[in-house]
Amino acid sequence: MKIEDAAQLTQSYYCLDCGVCTGSCPVSRVQPSFSPRIIVEKALLGLGDELLKDRDLWACLTCSRCFERCPSSINFPEFMRHIREEATKLGTQPVYSHHGMLQTIMELQTQGINQKKTDWAREAGSIAEKGDTFFFVGCMPYFQVIFRDIGVDSLSVSKNIIRILNGAGIEPVVSDDEHCCGHDMLWNGQVDTFKQLAAHNLEVIRASGAKRVVFNCPEGFYTVKHHYVEHFGDLGFEVVHFYDLVAEILDKASLTLENGAGPLTFHDPCRLGRMAKIYDGPRNILRRLAADDFVEMERNRENAVCCGTSGWANCSTGSKQIQVERLREAKAAGAQVLVTACPKCQIHLNCALNNLDLDLQIKDLISVTAEAITT
Amino acid sequence: MTRELLALMGIANERLALEWVSSAEAGRFAEIVTSFTEKVKDLGKNPIGVAA
Repeated sequence: MKIEDAAQLTQSYYCLDCGVCTGSCPVSRVQPSFSPRIIVEKALLGLGDELLKDRDLWACLTCSRCFERCPSSINFPEFMRHIREEATKLGTQPVYSHHGMLQTIMELQTQGINQKKTDWAREAGSIAEKGDTFFFVGCMPYFQVIFRDIGVDSLSVSKNIIRILNGAGIEPVVSDDEHCCGHDMLWNGQVDTFKQLAAHNLEVIRASGAKRVVFNCPEGFYTVKHHYVEHFGDLGFEVVHFYDLVAEILDKASLTLENGAGPLTFHDPCRLGRMAKIYDGPRNILRRLAADDFVEMERNRENAVCCGTSGWANCSTGSKQIQVERLREAKAAGAQVLVTACPKCQIHLNCALNNLDLDLQIKDLISVTAEAITT
Repeated sequence: MTRELLALMGIANERLALEWVSSAEAGRFAEIVTSFTEKVKDLGKNPIGVAA
């Protein structure tokens, strides 16, 4: 999409030049040369050529904090997504983290590989090939291998989901053929790869006969619910977040939760919070679990700050600074455990915590819930 | 880690080899590359791009 069209689509010409975006931007705080306001101004002043060659386009976290506060409601993340696509077409190289390893895996998935990534699921409980409920596991089996060294046990979350579902009498479909949801490709300007991944996933889900697809990853949830519909129309199945389902399961079985972990706080992931507008679901579970031991950080809900990198792009010293500040904020709020709801937030914040002398634990909401279930 | 990731992607581990060869060991280098090439030829076509 040409810059002019992206400006048209996101109505960027309504920009008041007020700078609230740059003032709200977590990246601008730690890297003052990056400014959403200047990016929009350049686009409007016809300086697109200069803009499209700038690799700083990948410094944006697309965390949507600027959009949340923009008085003209300019969807800057959406604008960024479109200009990254244009920049990539012109040959500007994205700045990938982890040497582009995760993007390579995603590219390979479009080449018709026969994945073998569900052994853990069979160990965790019973799964089906066909059925009403499809559990979209996402990248967790790959994360397990790549991020084990920083102490993140990604698959424990997925295993807990299968156990909770099984406990409620649900045997979910878990598929070897499922590919990455395409979120990272979409946000890094690789729309063709996104479409290939998405089309394949839709085929796999439909072939399973599923009526609903359950996600724990906020990125997968938002991408399927929003972007799959945008590109492919009606999905023919329901997109469910696991937190809604777990609340239902807890109610139905009248399970009580007991918190053994100490004071908890919740880190809102950008895709779950500002994008999917899910703020209360996770908090309801945590309040149920910890009651008065649930504390809020200073920057919460709409004001929550990003975990520092997104789409496996641009992990910089700035990212680390954002993460360290966030962890200190959790501690300052009186929390012993920072609960996240996104596999990537978990990885990024853990990476920062490993190099920090801070008495704090980071846990996933699902694992915290699973550990707290008492019958 | 590469081996584990390849396994998840359904790519057999015998398709990956890791060897240390010093710059003084030209003969050994040639031998390793030749035998690995032979091995991959024997294994046949990679599943990538073949599966539906």
